Amino acid sequence: MADIRDEFGQDLEILLAEVGELLAVTEESLVELEKSPDNADIVQELFRVMHTIKGGAATLGLQEAVDVSHGMESILDQIRSGERTLTTELLNVLFQAVDWLKEWKAALTERREVPPNAELVEIIRIAASEVAATSTEGGQSDAGVASAGTAGSISAGHDSAAPAEACDETTKSLDTAVSEGKNVSVLTVRFRSDAPLLSVRCFQILTLLDDIVEVVASTPSREEIEEDKATSTLLVYIVADDGGEAARELVTASPDVSEVTLEKYQHAGRGDAIRNGVAHGEASGAGAPGVKLPGAGAAGADTAVGTSKAGASGEHTGGTARSAPAKPGQSNQDAPVPRRSELGRTVRVDVGLLDFLMNMVGELVIDRTRLSQIATQLMRNPDTAAVGSEIGSLAAHLQRTSSELQEGIMQARLLPVKSIFSKFPRMMRDLSRRCGKEIDFEIEGENTELDRTVLEAIDDPLIHILRNSVDHGIELPEKRIAAGKSPRGRVVLSAVHEENQVVVRVEDDGAGIDAEKVKRSAVRKGLISEEVAQKLSEKEALELIFMPGFSTAEVATEVSGRGVGMDVVRANLEKVNGQIEVRTKLGEGTVVTLRLPLTLAIMRALLVRCKDQVYAIPTSSVEEVLSMADVTVGSIQGKPAMNVRGKVIPLISLEGALRDDLWSGNGHRYALLTRSSDQPLALGVDGLIGEEEIVVKEMGHMLSRLKGIAGATILAQGDPAVILDVNRVI
Amino acid sequence: MSIEETRTATDSSSGGERQIVAFSLGQETYGVDIASVREIIPIQKIVPVPRAPDFVEGIINLRGRIVPVLDLRKQFGFEEKKGDPNQRIVLVEAGQDSIGVIVDSVSSVLRISEGSIEPAATVVVGNEIEYIQGIAKVGEELIVLLDLTRIISDAEKRTLREADLRAAVVQ
Repeated sequence: MADIRDEFGQDLEILLAEVGELLAVTEESLVELEKSPDNADIVQELFRVMHTIKGGAATLGLQEAVDVSHGMESILDQIRSGERTLTTELLNVLFQAVDWLKEWKAALTERREVPPNAELVEIIRIAASEVAATSTEGGQSDAGVASAGTAGSISAGHDSAAPAEACDETTKSLDTAVSEGKNVSVLTVRFRSDAPLLSVRCFQILTLLDDIVEVVASTPSREEIEEDKATSTLLVYIVADDGGEAARELVTASPDVSEVTLEKYQHAGRGDAIRNGVAHGEASGAGAPGVKLPGAGAAGADTAVGTSKAGASGEHTGGTARSAPAKPGQSNQDAPVPRRSELGRTVRVDVGLLDFLMNMVGELVIDRTRLSQIATQLMRNPDTAAVGSEIGSLAAHLQRTSSELQEGIMQARLLPVKSIFSKFPRMMRDLSRRCGKEIDFEIEGENTELDRTVLEAIDDPLIHILRNSVDHGIELPEKRIAAGKSPRGRVVLSAVHEENQVVVRVEDDGAGIDAEKVKRSAVRKGLISEEVAQKLSEKEALELIFMPGFSTAEVATEVSGRGVGMDVVRANLEKVNGQIEVRTKLGEGTVVTLRLPLTLAIMRALLVRCKDQVYAIPTSSVEEVLSMADVTVGSIQGKPAMNVRGKVIPLISLEGALRDDLWSGNGHRYALLTRSSDQPLALGVDGLIGEEEIVVKEMGHMLSRLKGIAGATILAQGDPAVILDVNRVI
Repeated sequence: MSIEETRTATDSSSGGERQIVAFSLGQETYGVDIASVREIIPIQKIVPVPRAPDFVEGIINLRGRIVPVLDLRKQFGFEEKKGDPNQRIVLVEAGQDSIGVIVDSVSSVLRISEGSIEPAATVVVGNEIEYIQGIAKVGEELIVLLDLTRIISDAEKRTLREADLRAAVVQ
C-alpha cells in the first residue's frame, strides 16, 4: 500500500485533494443533518459524496475506503428511500466513518500506513443490516460493491455505459455548423478500459483540441464531463482545415487513449459518413502505431485491433460507438454527482508555483519602477530626452501589463474562507458536548475570499479563539438560566470584506472577560507587579491576555489548555500583517476581531526619510501627510502636539520613536497622521520620497519579532529598506 | 571563490582532516568549517534595522533576498571598523535562513589535520569558549576554530527573548 502513490502518482493526488474537499462538505452536512434530521436534500447530498468517494477509491483500487464509503452509502440509501429514519446511533456511525475517511486521507497524503477499518466496517455492517433484511438485496448498492471490487470492473461499468446518441443540444450545434457550410468531422476517442479519472482525461482532450481546432460539440458534453458523467468513449465534433488529421494525432498521443478514429460528419447519410471516415482512418491509422497500448483492457484491445484492420471492422467500430444504447437502468454508475459550482472549471496548481509566480511578479514590479526612474532621468537631459520618453512610454505599458499580471496572480491565490471555516461546525459540536454546554454556532460570509497564506495563518488562531469561546465564554446552561439568559449560547463566526481588509469576527454571548480576574491572574503568575496592576485601565488589563505565559484557566482543560496562548495567536496574525482586538462586556459576551490584509506580498507604501534612513510605511496605515509649514505645533504638558482642523494630536519623532525616545527629534518637515492603539498620532519625518509599490520580504527568523517592524523590502535602486508598522511603532 | 569545489572535496575526504575557511579579525586568525559556509561576498550596503540588537549590523540585499548581517567585532568586543575594502561577509546557514557575518578579511581555505587541533579549554578562558571548537596550529600560526552556527543560534535566542521582554512591558 505504501507504493500506491508511486503507482498512481498524480491521479492519487487529485483524488485525495477531491476527497478532502468532499469530506469538508460532509462534516458540515452531518452537523446540519443532526439539527434537522428530516432534511432529505442533505441525505441526498451525503449519498452522492459517498458515492463519489467510493468511485474514486475503487478506480485506484483503494479497497479500505471503498468498503467504508460503500457502507455509508448503503445506510444513506436506506434513509433516503425512507426505509429507516435517522437515529442518533446512525448519525454517530456516520460521524465515525467520516473520521476514518479523514484519517485515511491523511495517511495516504503523508505516506503513512492506512488506518485499520475492520472494526468500523463491522459497525457499519451491523448498522446497515439492522433494517437491511428487507432492503433491496442485490439492489443497486450491492451491485456497487460487486463492481467496486477491482479497478477493472468499475471501469467496465463505464464501458458499457457508452455515450448515447448525441443529445438535443449537440444536434442543434451540429446542425448550425453544417448549415453554415462547415466541414464537420467526428473524432471517436476510446480510453483504455482501466483508465482512471475519465472525466479528467475527457476534459484534457477537449482542452487540447480547443487549441488547434474548433470544437462544435461533444458527447458527453462539456457540462456532462464537468459533472463527472464521462464514459470510456468520447465523441468530439470538430471543424478543422485538414479534416482533423492534426487533431487525431494529438489525441492519439494523449495518455490512456486506446483508440482514435476520425470520420466525416454528415447529418443525413450516416453510412457514407462512416465509410468516408474509415478511408481516412486507414490512411493515417497505419502511421500511428501508438494507438495500440499494451495495457489496454479487453474491450479496448478488441477495438484497437479493429482499426488497424481493414475498412469493414472500422465501420463496425464507428457503428458501435454511435449506436450503443443508453441504459436508463444504470443510474448507479451515472448518478449525477453535483460539483459545487466554484469547482466548475478549475485547475489545481501547486502552491509553490503560485508563490514562485508571485515572487517573479514582485521582481518585475521592482524592475518596472526602476525603469520609470531611468526614463525620468533621461528625459531631464535634452540629449537623451527622446530615448527617455520612449523608455517612459515603454515603462508605462509595462506598468499596465505587470499590474494586471499581478492582480491575476493575487486573484489566483484567493480562497473562500469556507475552506477553513467548514471544519468548525463539527469542532464546535464536539467541544460543546464535551463541556456540557449548549451552543448554536453560526457562520456568516463563508464566501469571503482571502489570500491562502493569510488563511493558513488564521487557521490555528481561530481554533484557539473558538475554543476559548466554548470553554471560557459560554456558560453552562444552569448558569445562563440563572443569569436570565437563554440556556443555549450563541457563537457567531463571520467574515466580511471592508475596504482593503477582511474582518473576521468571533462573537459570543457568554460571560465576557473579567478584567479584574485577568489582572489577578497576571500578578499571580508574576507577569506584572501588584502596583502596576492597580494602575491598569480595563483596556490595558485586557491586553495582558496577549502576554506570553498568560492563561486564565485555573486548570488546563482538554479544550483550551494546550500550551498555546493568545500570545501565539497574536504572533501568528502579525506574521501576515493582521491585527487582533478583543472587546468584552462582563455578563454579555466577547467579540474578538481579526483584521487581515486581503493579499500579502505586494503593497503600496510611502517611502519616508528619517535622518539618512529610508523607511517604507504601508499607505493603508497613513491617513494624511501634512507639511509642517502648514500646521501649528504647540505643546501640551511640555510635549509637542499639532492642531489639525481643531483636533489636538500628539506629535512624536518617528526616528526618535524607533530609538524608544519619543520626544527627541524636532525640526521635521512632514508629519504623517496615523493611529496607534486607536489613538490619533502624528509622526514627524525629515523627507518624503514618494509612494511606491513594494514587495514585502521577510528578514529571517532572527529579526521576525521586532515591535513595529513589519519586514523589509528592496527599493528600485536595489537597497534594502525596513517596512514599519506605524500602528505598533510606540 | 572555489568553495563549491573544495566543499565536494571535503565530503569525499576521509576523517583525520578538516577544511576550514580562515579569516582575520583584529590581530587574530579564526577558522570556520567549510561545510557551514554558503558563500563569501564583498562588503556591501548594510541598512540598519531599528530595534534590532546591538550585534546585528543590519540587512543586505542578496540577489533579491533580505539577509541579516552580524558584526563579529562587536560580538567579541573589538573596536568597530568601517570602510575597509578587505572586509567580507561570510554567509552561513542558520536553519532555513542565511545569515551574514562580517569579518576583516578572508585569507584562505586550509586543510588541517585533526591532530593539530587542541581543545580550547587548554588555551583560552572566558565567555567565548562556548563558541570555540578548538585551536589549530598551522606552522607558527594559531587558528581559533569557531562554531558560527552556534553563535548565530545563541544570538537568535537572545534577540527573540528581548523581543518577548519588550512585548511583556506593559506601558
